[in-house]
Formats: sequence, C-alpha cells, structure tokens
Amino acid sequence: MSHSHEAHETAKTWADEPVAATAQSRKDAQGSLFALLNGKFGVTLDPLDSWGLTVVVEKAKLRELMLFLRDDQACLFTTLMDITAVDCLNWPGHEGPRFSVVYILRSLTHISNRMRVKVWVEEDDLDVPSIHDIWKIANWQERETFDQYGIQFVGHPNLKRLLNHHEFVGHPLRKDYPAQRRQKLSMNDPMLDQMEARLKAQGYTILDSIPETSPQVEDVLKGGN
Amino acid sequence: MTTATQSQASGPKPIDLAHQDAGQASFLTTNIDAFINWGRGNSLWPFPFGTACCAIEYMAAMSSRFDFARFATEFMRFTPRQSDMLLVMGTVTYKQAPILRRIWEQMAEPKWVLSFGACACSGGFYDCYCTVPGIDEIVPVDVYIAGCPPRPEAYMEAAMLLQEKIKDESYMEQRRQGLQQKVYIG
Repeated sequence: MSHSHEAHETAKTWADEPVAATAQSRKDAQGSLFALLNGKFGVTLDPLDSWGLTVVVEKAKLRELMLFLRDDQACLFTTLMDITAVDCLNWPGHEGPRFSVVYILRSLTHISNRMRVKVWVEEDDLDVPSIHDIWKIANWQERETFDQYGIQFVGHPNLKRLLNHHEFVGHPLRKDYPAQRRQKLSMNDPMLDQMEARLKAQGYTILDSIPETSPQVEDVLKGGN
Repeated sequence: MTTATQSQASGPKPIDLAHQDAGQASFLTTNIDAFINWGRGNSLWPFPFGTACCAIEYMAAMSSRFDFARFATEFMRFTPRQSDMLLVMGTVTYKQAPILRRIWEQMAEPKWVLSFGACACSGGFYDCYCTVPGIDEIVPVDVYIAGCPPRPEAYMEAAMLLQEKIKDESYMEQRRQGLQQKVYIG
C-alpha cells in the first residue's frame, strides 16, 4: 500500500484559504500590510483614500516595492488589476504635484489582500519607472496611461499610444484637454512593426510589406473631396 | 453617391408580372428604369459593418423570427466587392474611420449606405474626442434609422425605405453621367 499521497494531504494549499473575504479580514490585512510596508519602504498612507488601503511611495523605490509586493509570502499580489493616473489640475484644495499614477493590486492567494500604490508625478518631470517586467500586463496598461495622460514610463520597450490613433496630438484625459476636440485620422496604422516582430519571433520570414494607405482616403479625410 | 433623379414626372410604370401568362409570355413592355430599379431594389446584397450592439440587433433581424431576408436583402456578403448595401451598425471611432471609408470605396456602384442607430447617425451619447459624430462625415448616407439600438422592425422599414428610394433612381441618367465622366487610361 502506497503512502505517497499522505505528504500531499498535510501540505497547505490555496484551497485552505477562506473562500470569501470579510470586512474584518480586509481591515486586518490592510493594517498588517501597511505596517510591513511602512517599516520596509517608508510608504505613507494616502489621505484621499477613505475606505481602502492606498500607499504613497517615492518614484525611486517603486520597482523595489512592486517586486516585494509580488513575491513576498505575506503579500503575493499576483494580479495587477490596472494602472491609471489622476490629473489633479484645479482639484479643490490640492497642493503638490499635478499627476499621480495609481497601481491597483490584488492577491489571488491571500484573498483579503487588495491595495493601491500611488506615485506623485510633477508636470515638468513625467518620468516613472516602468514595471512591465514585473507584471506582463503592465506593458499595455502603461501604454494606455501614457496615451491618455502623457506619463513617460522609463524602460518601457514600446511606449506607443494604445487607444488613440497615432496622429493624435495631446493627451485627452488631462483636465486641460477640451473633451470635444476631435482629431481626424488620415491614414490607418497597419501596426506592421508589432506584427512583423511577432511573426519573426515565431520563425516566419517577412518577404514584403504592403503599404496600407490610398490617396483617395487621405484626400477625403483631410477635408478634400 | 447616386443621385435620385426622377426621370419622368409621372413616375416609371410598374411592371405587371402578375398578369403575364407564364407559359407563353416572351416579352414584356416597360421602361428601362423601372426594370433596372426593380432588379436592384429586390436583390440588395448587404455588407454588415457591425461595431456595437446594433449589430447584435441585426442578428435578431436576420434570424428566423423577423427574417430580414423577406425584404430582398438576404444575401449577406463579407467582402465589399460583392455587396451593394453597406450597413453601418454601431459606434465608429476616428481610429476606425479610414477602414469604413476604404470599405465603402471598395464597393462597386451602385451602392447605398444605411446608418443604423444613434451612434452611427450622430455619435450617440459619445460626445467626446474619439467618436465620429455621425458616419456622414466619412461616407454618404442614404437612410438614417433612429434607436439605441433600433428594433428589428426598424431594420425592415429601413430596407423598404431604401427600396422606395431606389425606385426613384434613373439608370439612364447615371449611365449618361458615367459616360461623360469616363476617363480612359492607357
């Protein structure tokens, strides 16, 4: 009779965790997480967040903090839900830098662990270290944040616009962008650079590139016709 | 786009096929516009440019309960080369606008454009930096249908309105204009 399965029975798995977080378990997790991070990285609480846990960290310590949050056994933030930014231009009573970049994190292992990390960004220094290598999804999320707010993620491999077209000028979710200023696109972006890179990575050979434009389309879209 | 010119003040004479003796008729008398328009209006080949929920409603309109095909618009083609009725159903962004324009250009004459729903007609509630406020900025539109999304009955009414419009067109006039404008290359 084999006893090999007994070792597995005693090992703790993710299934032993409670299946649903309660208000109390979240509160406990927030308290212990903040104590841990405050001691290790000197993070501060964000007074703008009245119900969850948002910590403010310096730019220089961002990558270090994120790696810790992903890998530490007490944190294990396996999922980066979103990256976005806040434009505090004309925010009532606001003093300090104009932008903040917000990282929304969630752990799938410790079910009560959820938090946000915030970095303040000055308008004349829009650089923020990229974390695309820590969570892969950050690649597109950072592109989106760059597109909409103009935050420059240093170290990003391909910081191009994600949602708006490539001829777009400005960053539409900034408070000083007129919401109804529309910008026409004269030529499609075939996105062949990314496509070719992917195909080459899979071992294909690119024979020739096909130009995507036609002169009639450009005339009409530029107001000709 | 094709101009809907009335060729005769009294309107073209309708074809009276019902009274033809099916076994013996070898000719019929009509005028060319009535005959061509009858053919065009009753064999519309739609190209669905569906970008949002109006296209979901189009699926309902196409399927058996409502059966859009009863209105001679059955043969859906997914290439613009083989279709003559462009159905724009849904929000069109500026990033997408050149694609829509290109599809319209690839369709052969005669061609018609139907704009379904609030977004395609006017941008809908997307009054913002990225949405085209009505596809008539990009392509000429023949029929606008209100609704968010329109009900299948509205799709049918659009088809019937378009057929009414096609009845007023003049093939001979288009041909004359086309001959005048024709440029021979090479």
